[in-house]
Amino acid sequence: MTPEELLKRLDAPLSLRKKVGYVALTLVGLAGSGLIVLLWATEPGLPPRTMVAFAVLVAIGLCWAAFGGWAVTRRTPMFAQDRVVAGWLGLGAWLLFTVGALVITTLRHKLAPSLVVAVLALGVLAIANLRTARRRRAALLRRKEELSQPRGR
Amino acid sequence: MADELLVVRCQLGEREAFAELVRAWHPAIERYVGRMLTGPDDDVVQEVWLAVFKGLPRLRQPDRFAPWLFTIARRAVMNRLRDGYAHPEPEAIDDVPGVDEAEAVVDRELLGRALAALPAREREVLLLFYLEDLPLEVCAQICAVPVGTIKSRLNRARKLLRRELARKGYEA
Repeated sequence: MTPEELLKRLDAPLSLRKKVGYVALTLVGLAGSGLIVLLWATEPGLPPRTMVAFAVLVAIGLCWAAFGGWAVTRRTPMFAQDRVVAGWLGLGAWLLFTVGALVITTLRHKLAPSLVVAVLALGVLAIANLRTARRRRAALLRRKEELSQPRGR
Repeated sequence: MADELLVVRCQLGEREAFAELVRAWHPAIERYVGRMLTGPDDDVVQEVWLAVFKGLPRLRQPDRFAPWLFTIARRAVMNRLRDGYAHPEPEAIDDVPGVDEAEAVVDRELLGRALAALPAREREVLLLFYLEDLPLEVCAQICAVPVGTIKSRLNRARKLLRRELARKGYEA
C-alpha cells in the first residue's frame, strides 16, 4: 500500500466538512430539544397527546445530539483548528437558543430567573470553550513559529 | 526537530502536514508490521494510522513522536497476533532455495525468514533496535519494559538469530 492509497483511505475521518457537520448536528439537536422543553414548561394545560409529541421530539433531538457527540469524540479527531470552528458553532448555537428562549418566555410569560441563570451559564460555557480552543491554537502556532526559525545563531 | 514541527502542524489541523507525516513514516510502519506479522498486512497498517490521527490531538510531547508511533503500532500488532493465536505462526521453512540468485537478495530473503522464525518478543527488539535504529530507552518505552529487559532480549534474540541462520546454512 502506498502512502497515497493510505491517505485516500483516511480521507473520511479527516474530512473537515464531516466534522463540522457532526458538531452542527450535536448543537442543533441540543438547542432544538432545549427550546421544545422550554415551550412545554411555559405552556400550561397541554393535552396529553401534545405532551407525548413534545417528548418524542425532545427524544429525537437528544438522539441526534448523542450521535453527533459520539461521532465527534470517537470517530473523528478534533484538531486545534477544528476545535476553534466547533467553539464558534457552539457560541452560535447558544445565541440561537437564547433568542428562542427569550421569544418564547417574554411573549407569553414573565422572564423566569432560573431560565436567565441557565442561559447565562450556557453562555459562559460556550465562551470558555471557545477561549480554550483559541488559546490552544495560539500556543501551537507559537510553537510552530519557534520550530520554523533557523537554528543556531 | 523536523518531526516535531510536522506533528505540531498536524495538531493544528493542516491537511498537507498529514500527508507529509504519512509519507515520512509509512515505510517504517509498513516494514515493522510486515516483519512482525511475517507478511504485509494493510488492515493493520491502516488501523495504526487511524489510531495515530485519533490520538494526535492529545499527544502532549510532539518531540516524542517516534516512540509514541511505535507504541501504537506495537499494540495493533499484538492485537493481531493475539487474534491469530488460534492459528499459530507457520513453522520456519527448512528448504532454503539454492544460492544462485543475486547474493544480496538471497541474504535479505534469508534474514527475513530467519527473523520470521524468532519468537515475537525477540523479533520485535531486533526490528526496533537494528532496523528502525531506535535507542535502547525508546525500545524499552515502546515495549513497556525496563531497559535491562530490552538488553537481555536483544542478547537472546541475537543468539537465536545466529542459530537460525546457521540452521539455514548461512555462514557469517
